[in-house]
Amino acid sequence: MASSEILHVGIDLGTSRSAISASNGERFVVDSFVGWPADMVAKKILKRTVLIGHEAVANRTMLDLHRPLERGLLKEGSDKDVEAVRELLRHLLGLVGAKKNGKVDSSNVRAVVGVPAAALRTNKQYLRNSMKGIVDSLMIVSEPFAVAYGLNALLHTMIIDIGAGTTDFCVMKGRYPTEEDQRTLTIAGDSIDTHLVKLIEEHYPQANVTLFMVREWKEKFSFVGTPTQRANVVAPVKGVPTELDITNEIKAACETILPPIVETMLDLLSRVEPEFQERVRNNIILSGGGGLIRNLPKMLEDSLRQVGGGKVTYMEDPVFVGSDGGLALALDAPDSDWERLSA
Amino acid sequence: MRVGNIDRVKRQLLHEAVSDNVDTIRGLPPRRMRRLERTKGAWFRTTPLLLLPLTLLGASYIVVSESRGLAVARPVQKPTARPRNLATALPDSFEPVKAAAFPLAVKRVVLDAGHGGKDAGASSASLLSEKEITLDIERRLRLLLEHNGFEVVATRTDDRLIPLRDRARIANSSDSDIFISIHVNSLRSHTISHGVETYYLGPTKDPVLTQLAAEENGTSGYSIADLRKLLERVYADVRRDESRRLAATVQQQLYSDLRAVDPGLENWGVKRAPFIVLVATDMPAVLAEVGCLSNEREAAMLNEPHYRQQIAQALFRGIFEYSKKGT
Repeated sequence: MASSEILHVGIDLGTSRSAISASNGERFVVDSFVGWPADMVAKKILKRTVLIGHEAVANRTMLDLHRPLERGLLKEGSDKDVEAVRELLRHLLGLVGAKKNGKVDSSNVRAVVGVPAAALRTNKQYLRNSMKGIVDSLMIVSEPFAVAYGLNALLHTMIIDIGAGTTDFCVMKGRYPTEEDQRTLTIAGDSIDTHLVKLIEEHYPQANVTLFMVREWKEKFSFVGTPTQRANVVAPVKGVPTELDITNEIKAACETILPPIVETMLDLLSRVEPEFQERVRNNIILSGGGGLIRNLPKMLEDSLRQVGGGKVTYMEDPVFVGSDGGLALALDAPDSDWERLSA
Repeated sequence: MRVGNIDRVKRQLLHEAVSDNVDTIRGLPPRRMRRLERTKGAWFRTTPLLLLPLTLLGASYIVVSESRGLAVARPVQKPTARPRNLATALPDSFEPVKAAAFPLAVKRVVLDAGHGGKDAGASSASLLSEKEITLDIERRLRLLLEHNGFEVVATRTDDRLIPLRDRARIANSSDSDIFISIHVNSLRSHTISHGVETYYLGPTKDPVLTQLAAEENGTSGYSIADLRKLLERVYADVRRDESRRLAATVQQQLYSDLRAVDPGLENWGVKRAPFIVLVATDMPAVLAEVGCLSNEREAAMLNEPHYRQQIAQALFRGIFEYSKKGT
């Protein structure tokens, strides 16, 4: 196979969003939702056999909607979810142009897929089996490792990747991270959403809010510490659209992730060899959607003060950090290695 | 390709990432858990093994004396004899209260996936180790329970070593109704047979069980003094009866469900043993050994997601049956 025909891609398969970066320069992000029309009527209206991403969410009332990933891992034991993740992958590959005669053709695709740091062998095997036949070769790596690789942050750095399903930590020591260097918390974007729904319902018992609405508000207003603006949103109260001030609820919900993240960060730092601790403290990188929570880097820096201070950098464009890192890995791996990883 | 101009560190990292993937394809355990790493833990494991028999003796003494006390007290329950015997009864003794008196179904369940992190638990030659299997079954069981309206608290949700002491603390602070610990057996001798068994708390004189308990208790985080205090709390009350009932229900479901798939499976029954997680938890607690990694055929089955799902389902049915009877 001529190397010009081969398409290298990095994929960040996320619980909430999945991003893809391809060697032809294309980059896309989609919501990790897949839906099939629930009945014949829906099929007629939608004129499609499967809907993916934002479209699926928007038309969810007509769909059998699946979110195939849970806590960053493929849900096991459900054929529908396996099929959903395959559709999602085909869709992503189609977006970056892995097509032949109008149909998605991925037989010459080499993909690197990021999964949570704590994913077990079993999880990786399951993902591998589920993706059979979709790509030519497949490499599965820990998501924070892909981020670190893409940023060239390979020595004395800590990556904190706050996604929807999981928050992943990885200390880079110039070697492939082992289980000691990595942590995964299931406290992340989704847990903020659940808290937020509860808090809003407590404050406004009459209001009707769904997880989907709350997720949008969170993405718009999320912050920790002192508010810089009021979060005013519109939701139906007894069927009447009403403006609600949810500033305090947003703050409280976002701050629920702080203590566990700080604890894990400090714990991992304390395990770094003493002479390198300062360097790692000054090289903490925040990625993933959670990096967009206003004021979060500063709050983390405040908590570092008790151990001598440090610096937390956040990525301007956290969406593609993981998939770009995956792409870098894909491009750097020699042909001989890819041949050993055929899917 | 860009291989030529990437630096040495990157090439090394890349090489290790690829090796890790190749291992996954071959189904090898992750590098951390391979043999050399594990021998370090051997010393820590043997220490409780030597000391536990002592505490066990103490425990059986307590339980024996209590059960005698009950035997004496039983005829006394006739109304006429009551006043006289109240005086002879110990001031802090109490009548066991039947859980059936409280018509509450089981609401919250603590699931405890055995081992984790550095402590891989039992392992077979080339397949999954105990810590991975237990965590996987725990996840499956959790889904089943949550789908059916139970609340689930997990003592560990990822591949991390949580000391038994912390597991008990998680369980006790979660205000849960029952505690299920999931483990996989590995027998030294007679590896031809394989079966399932369920434990609840109690002393045992069987040296094999003592050794098994010592192994599972290896990373408890308790000192011997703590252990003695805990064992002194062993009492013949609601919790023990309920634990026995829960163990019996779970064992029955495990055996009958799994035998359907695996006709060679043996029923090793409900047993008593002093596993720490069972001692230190405040709620009815059982420990299920859902399979045998020492049996090659079964190790291969445990490697199949399908079989692990079946185990999770059997455990779920056990819990469900128990919760029904409780109402």
